[in-house]
Amino acid sequence: MDTVSPIERILRGIALTLICLFFMFPIVWIFLMSFQTNETILRVPPSVVFSPTLENYTALITGRLETQAGTLDINFMGNLWNSLFLSTTSVAVGLLLGVPAAYAFARLKFRGSEDIAFTLLSFRFAPPLLVLLPLTIYFQQLGLANTYGGLIWVYQLIVLPLILWIVRGYFEDIPADIEYAYRIAGHDFWSTFRRIALPLAGPGIAAAGLLSFIFAWNNFVFALVLASADKQPVTVGALAFVTASGIQYGQVAAGIVLSIAPTFALALYAQRYLVEGLSLGAVKG
Amino acid sequence: MYEKEKDLIDAYIRGSVSRRGMIKGLGALGLSTATASVLLNASATRALAADFDWKAHAGKTVKLLLNKHPYTDAMLANIDNFKALTGMDVQYDVFPEDVYFDKVTAALSSGSSEYDAFMTGAYMTWTYGPAGWTEDLSQWVNDPSKTNPMYAWDDFLPGVIKSCAWNGVPGGALGSADAKQWCIPLAYEQNNLTYNKRVFDANGIAVPTNLDELLEAAAKAKAAMNGGYGIGVRGSRSWATIHPGFLSGYANFDQKDLNISADGKLSAAMNTDVSKEFHRKWVQMIQESGAPDWSTHTWYQVGTDVGAGKSAMMFDADILGYFMNGPGNAEAGNLAFSAFKANPAAPAPTPNIWIWSMAMSTFSKDKDATWYFLQWVTGPEHDLFGAQQMDLVNPARASVWADGAFRDKLSKSYSGYVEMHDASAPGASIKFTPQPLFFDLTTEWAATLQKMVAKEVPVDEGLDQLAESVNSQLKEAGLG
Repeated sequence: MDTVSPIERILRGIALTLICLFFMFPIVWIFLMSFQTNETILRVPPSVVFSPTLENYTALITGRLETQAGTLDINFMGNLWNSLFLSTTSVAVGLLLGVPAAYAFARLKFRGSEDIAFTLLSFRFAPPLLVLLPLTIYFQQLGLANTYGGLIWVYQLIVLPLILWIVRGYFEDIPADIEYAYRIAGHDFWSTFRRIALPLAGPGIAAAGLLSFIFAWNNFVFALVLASADKQPVTVGALAFVTASGIQYGQVAAGIVLSIAPTFALALYAQRYLVEGLSLGAVKG
Repeated sequence: MYEKEKDLIDAYIRGSVSRRGMIKGLGALGLSTATASVLLNASATRALAADFDWKAHAGKTVKLLLNKHPYTDAMLANIDNFKALTGMDVQYDVFPEDVYFDKVTAALSSGSSEYDAFMTGAYMTWTYGPAGWTEDLSQWVNDPSKTNPMYAWDDFLPGVIKSCAWNGVPGGALGSADAKQWCIPLAYEQNNLTYNKRVFDANGIAVPTNLDELLEAAAKAKAAMNGGYGIGVRGSRSWATIHPGFLSGYANFDQKDLNISADGKLSAAMNTDVSKEFHRKWVQMIQESGAPDWSTHTWYQVGTDVGAGKSAMMFDADILGYFMNGPGNAEAGNLAFSAFKANPAAPAPTPNIWIWSMAMSTFSKDKDATWYFLQWVTGPEHDLFGAQQMDLVNPARASVWADGAFRDKLSKSYSGYVEMHDASAPGASIKFTPQPLFFDLTTEWAATLQKMVAKEVPVDEGLDQLAESVNSQLKEAGLG
């Protein structure tokens, strides 16, 4: 039986539409901007009627940007590739290190385990700018400055604590009895972890991986300071359109569309895991 | 390939063929203007090599840290000529301007030897120089064995080159006899009026020649702008709000940021009666005719709005107007330029300037080789190439400003630009007092200006409070 009155249903529909408009408007506007020239974007007053152009995307993909001051070489696709490579590899390394560690912290109570876990979490508290200068000096001495390996290592400051703490909560939610039953059946610790704990914690691991991917993708300052221009991620590369001779709004918008596309697609695909994984990991039964 | 063309260009360089004759000849040989310009510069490069051992560092590599800017584009467009001239290799990293100085500061403060030389503004060297991060370039400039005899040091515009030299003493005059040359200019920008000629002509607005007229013209323009506003000036809470139009007008009334006592102590100088009067008019101008969101306006908004026809004029960098008059802007071709003298009693304009220049890192592993690059990129040949063929505007050398082809290029598409430059260049220099608290104190000045415009504090009271705060900070730092 339907207990919702028609008025309530209409009001709810209006409220939902307004909320959607409010949250989606910036993205839709940016999407529209990406098909306009600077001149039409800067019209007074602004208008949604325009003849679309693909020149912004062409400029980004071909790496040739026409500006008021002539032609500029840009490396946006290189930046995009760097972001993809750095984020994916960092998350892979983070999962490889973080998931077993999270399991250990959840299941094995050993001396100092809480302290170590908290120390790892405290990496998230450190303001990046504060640690970057000493890091730069160490990296130069170790030969890690301006290398992908060095950057992936530093990115662990972002991804590792996140993976560790989300997945740890998730492992703690899985009843230990299931694992004990499997162990009694004659299986060792490693295969219990691999065959029982890991599959059960799957959604949590996916959620942690996705979240840390987004955080790594959005990082700005580590690569800026520690690497040369050819290793910069998209967050730094997008600023190349803000030039002394003017802001290339069309290219900025096209750059945003291209750079949010991978995370947007990933988030849409894994939305179910994300919500489920986070909520289950967060509530202790 | 191009042998005949090269001979013709060499003859032009030797002076045996006129410029017109060369252009005609090259046209007859079927050469495009772009190819001709590259060949011309290659020929100038060969002439440059005549009396100096440019190959002394052949095989070496220098690495540069550069800001994404039309000046950088000019440098990179000509860099093959440097490589051919010296046999050296050049590597470079180009970073967007928004993050550029973070990158420079991180590289220098960590003692990184990755970069040999970098682009900088002169203000920044007031921090980098005394910290020991950059080299005093006088030691190379004054060494004839290391510097090309055709480098022509005296060719630099005096106000510009002096603004890059400081003795490191807080309050010490820029370009004093004991000053260290922390950087050498690539090009610079003066602050003058860029106005929309179309709007001015259509509404019978006269180009203002002093501050009172500026207020009047801005008000009239606002009334005529139909939703736009009269005048663009910067307003964000940043030191960069003070240094363009504001300080240029302020200095024209003989006003200073700081006083220097006989014993070298600094004190605030912005609460004099003349300064208060100037501030009152400036604030009134923004309140009546400025952008509604003035307090967020930086270089980008001020420029974009005049280029898009949203504002009728701006009192800011002349090169910003130059860029906004180019293709891709709604008002391209409609913008005109005028030297601006805020004080009717002043003999000439006194624009404060921003200088994009090159500095050498103290941590460079091969400073002599780095100097070879620096003297080439700041030399007369590259300056002329950049000005004629690219957008290296405003060049910092008098010989380039005397070049007919460059002047013709400007006069053709940038109405009044050459005249504006000629009128204001003699008075153009950095008007700030060099001292280590520059960025802090100037940012506070901008914050006070914001409060005045927002009517949170009356002008007189705001300036007295600012002076008190500046004095206390100077005392705390041992400068006051």
